[in-house]
Amino acid sequence: MILSRVADGLYWMGRYLERAENTTRLLLVTEELSTEVLGLDEHLARCEWDDLRAIFPGFSEDEPPARHLAGLAAVTLLGLAIDPENRYSVFYSLKKARDNARSVREALTLECFINLNETYRELEGYNRRRLSDPATFRTAMQVAHRGILSAVGAIEHTLTRDAGWLFLKLGESFERVFRTSVILRIKLPALVATEPKIDLPLFYSQWRSLLRGLSSLENYRKVFGARLEPIDVLQFLLFDAQTPRSVRYGVTAVKEYLDRISSASDLSQSVRIVGKLAAELSYQGHDLIREGQSLSFLDHVLVELGRTHDAVSTVYFGT
Amino acid sequence: MNWARATSGYDEIFDSEGRPRPHYAPLISILESFTKEDVERRERLQKLALLNQGITFTVYGEKEGLERIFPFDFVPRIIPPAEWKTIQDGLVQRITTLNLFLLDVYQEQRCLKDRVIPPELVLSRTEYKRELLGLTPPKKVFTHVVGTDLIRGESGEYLVLEDNCRCPSGVSYVLENRTLLNRVFPEFFASYPVRPVKEYPTLLLDTLLFVAPRPSQSPVVVVLSPGIHNSAYFEHSFLAREMGVPLVEGRDLLVEGNHVFMRRTHGKRQVDVIYRRIDDDFLDPLTFQRDSLLGVPGLINVYREGNVALANAPGAGVADDKSVYAFMPSLIKYYLGEDALLPQVPTYLGFRKDDFKYISEHLDQLVVKTTGDAGGYGMLMGPFASAREREAHLAAMRKNPGNYIAQPLVQLSTHPTHIEGKFEPRRVDLRPFILYGDRIRVLPGGLTRVALREGSYVVNSSQGGGSKDTWVLAPREP
Repeated sequence: MILSRVADGLYWMGRYLERAENTTRLLLVTEELSTEVLGLDEHLARCEWDDLRAIFPGFSEDEPPARHLAGLAAVTLLGLAIDPENRYSVFYSLKKARDNARSVREALTLECFINLNETYRELEGYNRRRLSDPATFRTAMQVAHRGILSAVGAIEHTLTRDAGWLFLKLGESFERVFRTSVILRIKLPALVATEPKIDLPLFYSQWRSLLRGLSSLENYRKVFGARLEPIDVLQFLLFDAQTPRSVRYGVTAVKEYLDRISSASDLSQSVRIVGKLAAELSYQGHDLIREGQSLSFLDHVLVELGRTHDAVSTVYFGT
Repeated sequence: MNWARATSGYDEIFDSEGRPRPHYAPLISILESFTKEDVERRERLQKLALLNQGITFTVYGEKEGLERIFPFDFVPRIIPPAEWKTIQDGLVQRITTLNLFLLDVYQEQRCLKDRVIPPELVLSRTEYKRELLGLTPPKKVFTHVVGTDLIRGESGEYLVLEDNCRCPSGVSYVLENRTLLNRVFPEFFASYPVRPVKEYPTLLLDTLLFVAPRPSQSPVVVVLSPGIHNSAYFEHSFLAREMGVPLVEGRDLLVEGNHVFMRRTHGKRQVDVIYRRIDDDFLDPLTFQRDSLLGVPGLINVYREGNVALANAPGAGVADDKSVYAFMPSLIKYYLGEDALLPQVPTYLGFRKDDFKYISEHLDQLVVKTTGDAGGYGMLMGPFASAREREAHLAAMRKNPGNYIAQPLVQLSTHPTHIEGKFEPRRVDLRPFILYGDRIRVLPGGLTRVALREGSYVVNSSQGGGSKDTWVLAPREP
């Protein structure tokens, strides 16, 4: 039992920390892929940047994306790395995570706060000019990534497993599964439309970067080996029961945290929504994919996740 | 090592011959054994530790949400046992009197009827809450936590500068400074029997539990903060964490059926004691300031019914008013029949005609303060002000003379402070913390604030002040 405001703060701290991690990783992966394919297929490189802007829609509508690829890449990279105005930048997410942590500091251990605070302060030390140098950019993002993971480690290893911890983990799991679903929803139309005949290595590097973008390449190989078949990748990212960034794993995690948060007698609205979704992912999803309905299924997943979040906010945070 | 001597005021470390006072001699020889580079390296380490741990305060009037560290100087201030005994006895006497005064002005008003203090002076203060007339707080305690500011005169005598009876802040720095110094200069501690300060949160919790209305039912204590943008937010959060109690904001609390509850994820829970770090005026929009969003509507009613305890009690602010201060020696005599153990600074009251005349004629020698303000705001340092500034201030004072007091400028003692590789004298004050529960306890230590700018008298954190670890030494075994 904790204060609603504290639960809210911890939930959002979990979400922003996870979001910062996602953004950092995707920036590193996209930058690498785009550099790799630039000379080979400029269109593909451009698509990667456009996708990234759609996954993290923090850019102002008033600013049309740069026409030159180099310009687009630079603006997107810097915007998503350190622009304090961009609601999806790593800097913005870390700042929000830290603001939330500050507002609920009495619910955290010193280790949690110090790790998060140090990571934030380190990134704060960079500016656009310094980050314009690609090597510096990579170093900065790698340092941020390590810092975020150590903050997550501090949470894992020092926080007591009380209601506060459950809300923090709920936020983290929710953000993770939501972002995976968004990434799949945005990337899928182009991926499934591409003909593999044209350039096989290029075709596979897109699927590989999708898996890497979701920290799942090694995990995929353990199940399917090195061979990248689109249908296998899709099945894996949607339904694998063990990889922490699959949709099924994420929805199940959200459900389990909500189960533990809600008392046995009161099966709250949020548990019912997410419980149904978990069942669909376990028992029904494979058929839908085989029937070619992956996009509409992902839309459904996103809507239900949105309803879950709203129900959690209403019931537990009183917002 | 380079030690610059004080040119005015009492020097805390060196006597008039330039020899270190006995209780500072071991510290000086330890410091002399370090190289300059070593000292600088440790100083960098210490700054980084403050930033990384987020031990910061927020500055008002600058960019929103600007966090600053409270600069820390590693040369500790050392108070020998006999000196501390004087301070402690004087503070207990003073806090006892302040509490008796508050009980009196909200009940029988004997001190006003007996003209120990002019009634109009007390009753006209905005800190005097007539809504609370006739109300006795739980266990008759008004001033659960007091921070009294002390300075030292020319010959080293401790003088009371002011009492803070509302929400005195700074105790978190007392505790964090000790941790920090221990980490960065562990060598210092080997030669000194330094009395610990770390039990403060436990003592504070005991103090709060003492006034709980339902003592038998494991009472719920909370810390009430205005929120993350308040300058002392770090301290609110720190104390809640150290006491292991929830930190709440006004919006977390609600009043139902004459009880206070906090909103939780699974229903509400009754609250018994609120250590509030919000001023009276913002506590309850139904009783005090109507447009306040920080407080809890209906809270004062619950308090009136005795269903919740508030620390410090609402209305306590009138006791630390700067014009009431002028009457403290008489009040101590009146309530306790004793002479004040700690002297204080002579004070001229704007509200007295003769005093005001004296103030206006001697403005270039006086420090003028407004009666209600704290934190060094609204102050005129006569000796350093230009003729034009003094004129402007005087014009403002004429409109409402009762709002001002004036005191001669006290030199303040100086303490060597590490400034850019050298030890230079800087002016200091001392804020001990006093807890009033089943008895009065004075934390053996306190916040030594230091004016880091050369020649400055202003020690407030909001205006360029820093702090030092403050050691109270335990008496040695004979």
